[in-house]
Amino acid sequence: MLLIMKMEKMYSIEVENLTKKFRHFTAVDNISFQVKKGEIFGFLGANGAGKTTAIKMMCGLLQPTSGKATIADFNLASDYKNIKRNIGYMSQRFSLYADLSLYENMQLFGTVYGIPRKELKDRIFNSLESLQMADKAKTLVYSIPLGWKQKLAFATAMLHEPKIVFLDEPTSGVDPIVRREFWNMIYEAAARGVTIFVTTHYMDEAEYCERVSIMSEGQLKIIGTPAQLKEEMQVDAIADVFQKFVKR
Amino acid sequence: MKELMMILRKEFIHILRDRITLLLVLAMPVMLVLLFGFTISTEINNAKIAVLDLSKDSQSKLFLNKITASGYFQIVSYPNSETEIDHDFKNKNIKLAIIIPANFETKLAVDKKATIQIINDVSDLNVASVLNNYMRVVISDFVNEYNGNQSPPIPFGMSTQMAYNPQMESVYMFVPGIIALIMIIVTALMTSITLAREKESGTMRMLLITPVKKVYVVIGKIIPYMVLSLICTLLILVISVLVFQMPIKGSIWFLLFLCFVFMLTSASFGLMISAMVNTQLDAMMVTMMGLFLPTVLLSGFLFPLDNMPYFFQILADFFPAKWFIIAIKDVMIKGTGFLGIWKYLLILFVMAVILISVSLSRIDKRE
Repeated sequence: MLLIMKMEKMYSIEVENLTKKFRHFTAVDNISFQVKKGEIFGFLGANGAGKTTAIKMMCGLLQPTSGKATIADFNLASDYKNIKRNIGYMSQRFSLYADLSLYENMQLFGTVYGIPRKELKDRIFNSLESLQMADKAKTLVYSIPLGWKQKLAFATAMLHEPKIVFLDEPTSGVDPIVRREFWNMIYEAAARGVTIFVTTHYMDEAEYCERVSIMSEGQLKIIGTPAQLKEEMQVDAIADVFQKFVKR
Repeated sequence: MKELMMILRKEFIHILRDRITLLLVLAMPVMLVLLFGFTISTEINNAKIAVLDLSKDSQSKLFLNKITASGYFQIVSYPNSETEIDHDFKNKNIKLAIIIPANFETKLAVDKKATIQIINDVSDLNVASVLNNYMRVVISDFVNEYNGNQSPPIPFGMSTQMAYNPQMESVYMFVPGIIALIMIIVTALMTSITLAREKESGTMRMLLITPVKKVYVVIGKIIPYMVLSLICTLLILVISVLVFQMPIKGSIWFLLFLCFVFMLTSASFGLMISAMVNTQLDAMMVTMMGLFLPTVLLSGFLFPLDNMPYFFQILADFFPAKWFIIAIKDVMIKGTGFLGIWKYLLILFVMAVILISVSLSRIDKRE
């Protein structure tokens, strides 16, 4: 019994036969997988493969048609409100308020997550400090470069210390140097025990992940460590594995 | 509660930092009132008229004096026959002609009945009907005075009384209409556009992914625009009182309460619209076509509802502006209190409750 409990606690994301149908179109078709605590999990797939729909379901934004999921130790069907408190989210589209300053954005999102005012102030200060943007706290967000914005969005998603953070193509459109810095932030978060669930179209980033899965036409085609996948498919790079599955 | 305050603060920041929109929103009511007040005035002074006086006795002189004293008319010609009247219409640019019957004084005294004929130039319908109304006022004035001097007073055919707006000022008509329009623009249009903007930019998803109550997000959107709309309403009232001498007979607090209820209804329309659309453009189009146009056309503000086909009269019942305009006119011009307009308040309130609960249930569900 104790052993089973420990086994269960190993995973921060457990998805079982999750399906989402929109009328006659099946966006997510019966997918099952687990993600370990503190793991960096790459969720790959072509555009329209169903990744975003799957993430929206896991975040409690979309009601699954069928299937079960446990996210951050909470049942998705019955307890999605608690899930929301324990996850962070950042999307491909930069989505902080452009006409609010860096500080105001973080203050807004920190407050709606219920972080006490004084505590929040310290966290924002520390966060901006480590981003080396402390002197820009009062700058309006629209005037800072895209790479900075993406790093800021990540830091904002981490303010309430979530157990899992969902990153939906966080580095698209960002230059290689910032991408490097961004991945350093991801590694640091994972080292603190935060589970990272990341989608990307950059295959070099897929190689950074501990495990990756590839989705195509709503189905989860393959899952494993980058090394396992390459060996199984007998290719040299994740990019080649990807090609095999998304070929139409 | 702290979350709500934070969302409200954010919303006010959006409004205050978007200087151009803010300026437009505040300038719009001022412009509209001044524009309507100075240009679309239906008042006519010193209209040229012709008089064919067939009796030329003391009573007809008295009557003509009354016409000139009114200030609305200027007698420019005394034709001798009806054909000459026709000539005057064509050549002297008169707008109206009256014919006083022969033996006017005797008819009044003996027959207790006299008919004054009014001939209008109806090539301009608006001018004609306004002048016609002015003339009715003058005639009824004359009759009242005549009756006052007689005992017992003679029964006289016409008794028109211009109640509540004896000068027939057009301000009385359009100020309530403009208040309704501005409140629709500021609350319904702005609420639906800014909600759609958040959907477009993806910030709505960021907010919905947090544990914050969706009701807070919605209230946070509505309240700031209601405040803005209230400021606009006060601006309109101040200008119409100071510049156009519009009376406010009823209680100002009751008037503001009425405006508040209408704002709530209007904002809930905006909410409903933003629950249906995904882009700012759609939000704007739907609000314009679905709410703004019906407010202009079907509220009785510019076009009288009584003259419309039955279908449109029924349709008008489903838009809040009609009820609001009836109610606000009663409060401002007649000084009606709660007992007189509670029905309209109730209709507006029920509309708001239905719309808010429908749109909340749409927004609050996971898709």
